[in-house]
Amino acid sequence: MQLDFIITQWAVWPPLPPEQNSPNQWLANVPPMLKRRLTPLAKTVFCAVSQCIDTHRIVPMVFNSSHGELAKSLAMMEMLEAGEEISPTAFSLSVHNAIAGLFSMAWKNKLQCTVLSPGEEGMAPAFIEGLGLLQEGAERVLLVFYDEPLPAFYPSSPYRLSSDTSCALALMIAKSGSGQALTLSSSALTGNDGEQPVQLPAFTRFLTEPQTRLTFCTPRRSWIWEKRFE
Amino acid sequence: MSSLENELKKLIIESLDLEDIGVDDIDNHEALFNEGLGLDSIDALELGLAIRKKYNIRIDSEKDDVVNIFASVAALAEFIESEQRAA
Repeated sequence: MQLDFIITQWAVWPPLPPEQNSPNQWLANVPPMLKRRLTPLAKTVFCAVSQCIDTHRIVPMVFNSSHGELAKSLAMMEMLEAGEEISPTAFSLSVHNAIAGLFSMAWKNKLQCTVLSPGEEGMAPAFIEGLGLLQEGAERVLLVFYDEPLPAFYPSSPYRLSSDTSCALALMIAKSGSGQALTLSSSALTGNDGEQPVQLPAFTRFLTEPQTRLTFCTPRRSWIWEKRFE
Repeated sequence: MSSLENELKKLIIESLDLEDIGVDDIDNHEALFNEGLGLDSIDALELGLAIRKKYNIRIDSEKDDVVNIFASVAALAEFIESEQRAA
């Protein structure tokens, strides 16, 4: 399997270098009644995506997050355990596609929106989904990867499934056009390079640095991204 | 302005995270939902919970006229006062 595509535009939040850290300019267009429902992770996602879709506002989107906002679900379960009533707002935003839903409302994007929880496979499933949409005829697809640290309640450290920072990476992909050409392939090599929160910083470095090849091993296979220079 | 109406405005702002809105920005007779302040159905549930916690008054969507109770701050204050008198 060899899948070719182009990253036409991308953005990461927090930005590189981190001094440019001013979320307000990227959140300015969000209607105030929606903005009040944005959690810190949702704001991180909005900041990354806003920088990526200025010219092409309405695109099919694929969101990919290992854990979503699990801390919110945990907090509600703790409230229930304590016999307290939970907040209807928090409950309504506790589903895995909550941030994608808020985003499609804020940007009035009514096109297809898929939200994946990829587990051990990490970032690759979003590419497979997005490349499938390109194959079906979409001109471009927005991939959004985001995660935040798991609450201490969950024993994450031995499993490489969480990191200690929040991060969102948005990639606009297309089959042709200018940008960084990449090929995605897989191999039978297995290993454990960690879930998406661990993969995200490595993928961002891959985009910014001269390195031409990136491999993420999972317990089932490995995924390989290779830069093409034609 | 009655103190209950003022108190309700603070409750609305705090429980619904209306970050950019102050007590003075909400008119007693302005519509709370849709046009007017622009609250939505999730806000109605959240506000119902906040009122239950603060005043120990339960708004029953089966029995009570929810649309009129939540019509404005003045209507909400009137409902709470009548419930408090009945208790």
